[in-house]
Amino acid sequence: MRRLLAGLTAAVLAGSLAACGSSADSGGESADGGVDKVKVGVIPIVDVAPIYLGQQKGFFSRRNIELTLEAGQGGAAIVPGVVQNQTQFGFSNVTSLMIAQTKNVPIKVVAAGVASTGEAGKDFGAVVVKADSPVKTAKDLVGKKVSVNTLKNIGDTVTRESVRKDGGDPAALNFVEMPFPNMPAALADGQVDAAWVVEPQLSTIKAAGGREVASTYVDAAPNLTVAAYFTSQKLIADDPGLVKRFTEAVNESLAYADSHPDEVRAILSSYTKIDEKLRASLVLPKWPTQINETSVRTLAELGAKDGIFTGTPDLEKLLP
Amino acid sequence: MTTARRADPARAGNPALLGVAGLAGLLLVIELAPRLGLVDERHLPPASRIAAALAREAVSSAFWVALSDTLIAWALGLAIAVGAGVLAGLVIGSVPVLRALTASTVEFLRPIPSVALIPLAVLLYGSSIGSTLLLVCYAAFWQVLVQVLYGVADVDPVAFETARSFRFSVWARIRHVLWPTALPYVFTGVRLAASVALILAITAELVIGSPGLGNQIAVAQASAAVPTMYALVVVTGLLGVLINLLARTGERRLLAWHQSVRGEVAL
Repeated sequence: MRRLLAGLTAAVLAGSLAACGSSADSGGESADGGVDKVKVGVIPIVDVAPIYLGQQKGFFSRRNIELTLEAGQGGAAIVPGVVQNQTQFGFSNVTSLMIAQTKNVPIKVVAAGVASTGEAGKDFGAVVVKADSPVKTAKDLVGKKVSVNTLKNIGDTVTRESVRKDGGDPAALNFVEMPFPNMPAALADGQVDAAWVVEPQLSTIKAAGGREVASTYVDAAPNLTVAAYFTSQKLIADDPGLVKRFTEAVNESLAYADSHPDEVRAILSSYTKIDEKLRASLVLPKWPTQINETSVRTLAELGAKDGIFTGTPDLEKLLP
Repeated sequence: MTTARRADPARAGNPALLGVAGLAGLLLVIELAPRLGLVDERHLPPASRIAAALAREAVSSAFWVALSDTLIAWALGLAIAVGAGVLAGLVIGSVPVLRALTASTVEFLRPIPSVALIPLAVLLYGSSIGSTLLLVCYAAFWQVLVQVLYGVADVDPVAFETARSFRFSVWARIRHVLWPTALPYVFTGVRLAASVALILAITAELVIGSPGLGNQIAVAQASAAVPTMYALVVVTGLLGVLINLLARTGERRLLAWHQSVRGEVAL
């Protein structure tokens, strides 16, 4: 009897431990009836409104793509998700993509994501301070504590460029990492002297009396491409047709969103909880279908200057 | 004890009534603190605005989908953990060699906080329900396993030997001696695991972004929708209360025959 029990044990233990968490689907592009199931890793922010709009308008289903948008928290999980084919495409800012590229992560951009409006004071990202702050222009940020959502990424790079252009020492900034949603409170409480934020926090802070001191994306490069949609090089090799259809659908979505701002503001209610008043007032970014390569090159140079890359990003390999 | 009760009958009052009064007091504090300017109402809105946001959420389909996602992940994870924990506990517990063999491993693995496995979960399952399940199972499994091990160790050796000398089969011994002894421990394990499973389900959704209430909290936070965020936090709290209540009632019903529930009867 004891032998029987002992024999059972090994099987039970192995089985029970394996049972924990074995029920997840690996996801994938099973093509039944010619329809490709595609998952896209996105962040639930204003920037990705076009793809939600395109999904609703049928731009993807028309091209035999059944789209699922996975709005996971934070962009950190999106790149590994695409590389492992849990999601087939992803949305990420250009600096993060370049960082991944310098680490030889096999990814490639397939479509533009979101771009700066190019208008100082009317962009969707900026450095803001409290109304009574002594900081008047970007160079006054020298020696101050500035919050960014991720250290050594696009936020500190473009903020440094604003300071550099205004005649300050870009190395003399103290960056603090914190999530965007925490910044309004941190700024109000004086935990930080300035915050680099994007919409909707930018509008929230301005509505509470905050003052914009630098339109960082505008300072970095004219019509800066901020983020892009990308996929794994494996998918490009395995199913170039699907990638092509996806790119076309994204481009159609971007063009539609760019010319229908009211529909963009309406679609925001489907995947964010931004309230109606804020939805109506926030600054929308631009959604050109072309990637502004010059601006990406500038971002790469600025990033290299600040030492956020371990090597030099190979834009030939990264961009389409 | 009795003298204290007799000395102060008024203060004891009706416990249910006192509980409600306490809750009302808390709501009043949350309502007044922002209104009086003690805290910034942009960061902690008054209770009435949280309630209004809760009412708005209650009529949105996204909320109910998220609630069911959380409950499914919780129930599935708990079921897997309880099944695996009970099986493994019974087997390990009844074979002394196994128990000695696994003791150090269990003591090493058990204290690892489930949230420390988040990077692993993300790598394996991305932001799907699999990530939530991994964390929920891991945390809940040990709660059950350890209780079952205690339960099996608590078997009366005389009863067990008696069953053996009566030539009870292995199955009959498990069914009639081991299981009834271990059952109260199993229930304790399940009750603890049920609460832990909810905590981990919400945590996974909040941090990893797998579908559910936690993810909705994160979306509300990212959308600067502060009252909605608190409303969802309140929902997770209510869920916790409900689950605990359910587990306790279930335990009392199903263990009505056991002396731990029945109360000690002098023999």
